[in-house]
Amino acid sequence: MTGHRTADAVRRIWARPGSRVGNRVRIRLNSRIVYVDLVHEMTEDLARRARFAKSAALDLALAVREAYINAVKHGNQMDESKSVEVEFERNESRFRVWIRDQGQGFDWNHTADPREAINLDRTSGRGIFFMKNFVDEVSFHRIKGKGTEVLLEKNLQPAARGPHSAEAKR
Amino acid sequence: MKASVRHQGKVTIVDLSGKITIGDGDIKLREAVNALLDEGRKAVILNLKGVSYMDSAGIGELVACYKRAAEKGAKLKLLNPGGKVQDLLILTRLQEIFEIFRDETDALNSF
Repeated sequence: MTGHRTADAVRRIWARPGSRVGNRVRIRLNSRIVYVDLVHEMTEDLARRARFAKSAALDLALAVREAYINAVKHGNQMDESKSVEVEFERNESRFRVWIRDQGQGFDWNHTADPREAINLDRTSGRGIFFMKNFVDEVSFHRIKGKGTEVLLEKNLQPAARGPHSAEAKR
Repeated sequence: MKASVRHQGKVTIVDLSGKITIGDGDIKLREAVNALLDEGRKAVILNLKGVSYMDSAGIGELVACYKRAAEKGAKLKLLNPGGKVQDLLILTRLQEIFEIFRDETDALNSF
């Protein structure tokens, strides 16, 4: 399945009452901006299931949203024949999300600081800044011949960690 | 996102609700503000009370609206940003370029 059918099917499975989700979830979507809300909803829902507070779940979803938009616009250059893969993993201490595109990528390390006076009235250029502010770690990897992978990592708050976590044992 | 327009004398208030994000809210915001500027409105308040969050595209559109208003000799001010929207305006330092009000009467009297 592709396109809207995929998005609708994912939403149906996701919204099923009592549906159970494992610690690792991976979806692949056609490279279209229109799916950003689906990705956002999934991220927020998985983060809440991982017992993130509502505001922290929104922060994570906003970071993933920006990474997905970057993958579609700058990675895959709006080529809808390409795809974006989003993979979620929760372990004892962190929530990790990989966003992978099939494009050439760009230089993630040399982006202007949107808070500098000269950039304040710019109408774009805040996506990576949002990512870096809403999660604990952001890393970018270029995969030769395949595309670019962004990894977003957010620490689970101690209260949300499992019974076997270091904090819980203290 | 929804945008509803009301007028208080020469000032126009746009009550926004929902989220200002790529592909929907940003476009509706642009259309609403452009329509007012095209009508010749010179004093516009964006009431953000009902806005839950914005993404970088939404923030970018807010700045674009501000710049378009200035180009047309109009003023665009913000009212009642709350929660995440307020956080984002502080984070991006946009509170330094926008006039932001908590009280509608104060906002109306500022023009």
